[in-house]
Amino acid sequence: MTLADTLAHAKWTFATRRVDRACVAGTDTDFAAAKPGDLILAHVDRLGQHRRVQLPSGRPSLIFPGDAVVMACGARYAPDQFEGLAEIDAEGADLLAGGGCIGRMVARNSRIKPATRLVPSARLLGADGRAVNLAQFALGPRHAAPLPPVIGVLGTSMNSGKTLATAQLVLGLRRAGFRVGAIKATGTGAFGDVNEYSDSGAHYVGDFTDAGMVTTYLEPLDRIKSATETLIAEAGHHGCDIVVMEVADGLLQRETAGLIADPWFARLISGLVFACGDAVAAMGGVAHLARLELVPDALTGLVSCSPMASNEAQAATGLSVLTKEDLADPAEATGLALRAGLGRQEAA
Amino acid sequence: MKDTLIETTPTAVRRVTVCSSAGRLSAGIIRPARLSDAPPLVVLHGISRNAGTLARLFAPEAERTGRTLIVPHFPAETWPDFQRPSKKARPDLALLALLDLVAAEYPDIAGPVDIFGHSGGAQLAHRLAMLYPHRVAALHLAAAGWYCLPNESMRYPYGLAAGTDTFTANWARRHAAALRAFLDIPVCVHVGTDDVTRDDALRTTSALDARQGRHRYARARTYVTALNAAAEAADLSPRARLIEMADCDHDVVRAITENHLATRVLDARAALT
Repeated sequence: MTLADTLAHAKWTFATRRVDRACVAGTDTDFAAAKPGDLILAHVDRLGQHRRVQLPSGRPSLIFPGDAVVMACGARYAPDQFEGLAEIDAEGADLLAGGGCIGRMVARNSRIKPATRLVPSARLLGADGRAVNLAQFALGPRHAAPLPPVIGVLGTSMNSGKTLATAQLVLGLRRAGFRVGAIKATGTGAFGDVNEYSDSGAHYVGDFTDAGMVTTYLEPLDRIKSATETLIAEAGHHGCDIVVMEVADGLLQRETAGLIADPWFARLISGLVFACGDAVAAMGGVAHLARLELVPDALTGLVSCSPMASNEAQAATGLSVLTKEDLADPAEATGLALRAGLGRQEAA
Repeated sequence: MKDTLIETTPTAVRRVTVCSSAGRLSAGIIRPARLSDAPPLVVLHGISRNAGTLARLFAPEAERTGRTLIVPHFPAETWPDFQRPSKKARPDLALLALLDLVAAEYPDIAGPVDIFGHSGGAQLAHRLAMLYPHRVAALHLAAAGWYCLPNESMRYPYGLAAGTDTFTANWARRHAAALRAFLDIPVCVHVGTDDVTRDDALRTTSALDARQGRHRYARARTYVTALNAAAEAADLSPRARLIEMADCDHDVVRAITENHLATRVLDARAALT
């Protein structure tokens, strides 16, 4: 079977969706030289935690030992799954994320299975002999001035309700008549969040993979900041009145902590929704944000499922606690949009 | 309460129906032969639900001024409550869906709309504008029974002071959040000088009578004063005007046929903006 045949039958993963496959002209096996974003052809060796990969079409695909898969070399930060590094061992590598992230697992949550093992087969090269990298297919810079207003969505941790909050706020803003962009600034490339934003009716959806990164973990902050601005400008180019931007993981995660501590972040956003797991997390998170001179407009997330916890969080922080239904309500969403600086004439 | 019966020339009305999370809503769309650049006018009926009558009475003026009319009809069977967003009904959601549909089908008139409402329709109109000021270019309120005052002198739904329960606190917050943008909308409050009857349809409580007035005429005056005071407090130019219709009671047909209400509404644009 030729390389072309192998690549044609391989399962290209979601993270590679922007890649022009015609650019692949050859391969090598210099895995030690692999950098984040380089495309790797690998074969499934032994199934573990991930038994599916995500396809660019937006559906998951079962994988079986022997399957050929094209992924991007990358790191992974997921306290409920793995920590992994963007390193490829020729003897064997780990499927760090079903969206298409291959690397070396260095830590695993004790409640989940070991990573699915892969045998790296080739690093994909372009006609110039250099590794094909996601960055080659990233969005170019846009000169949208001024950028649309941004409502940031932060959370106390993974699974605190950020993605749901983002999607529901998109829905509320869209119902109110705004053109809405939904972007994910950090995290690991996966179609779940992108699909959820799209399902809520966002007029533009983008994440860091559109800016050339399979994951933002261990990437330089300046690169992430530049990518975020590119995505916001892209939303503006698509005519969006306003952008809802999710920043992944918790306030203490390396990149999130760096971004929100940077005065750039406060200048970038004009509204902030904070997703919390419970009232104590809300109190601590709001206090932490206050030290960074960031004040949420409202709390949401898992805490909002419990009226008692909501009352405690509201009493402790003085902030309103919004349920997912509140965020999806155009009356609530309009208030958040107007507080974020979207004027009557601009919105019209 | 009944409106004066009147025969008018039948007008071609296109009927559209939208689905929303709040339920279905139908509306008549009337397009003049010659279209102006001015926004469409949404005409909201009151509790007599006389959408057809209002459509016929506004149609000649729409034709004269080149304005598209959007005339929703809230039937009693499916919309027993429609005068304001409440636990029972969300007419605002249905109206937003209707505006989206009209904008999609008639891109030439996409954008903020002028809204006219009579009585219960005026009740809905001013609350819609408070919640979604970005969708409203100008507001014409004819003889609402009572108002949501743009200040905290009364508890929601009579004003913006938050109640003790979550529901009223949420709605007070939502109305207050968009207040500044709402106060920037030009508002005409039309009321008959004889609209002083405390009929069965008029909400009467001691607090409402004391703070807003004992009848629609007094309440309209109170509302305009409150709007302009709130605008000044927000460093905005006062944009509310009281238009008194001499010798006119609460009958909207008489207001249109004898006091030229439809003409005033459709001619007001140049003066308002």
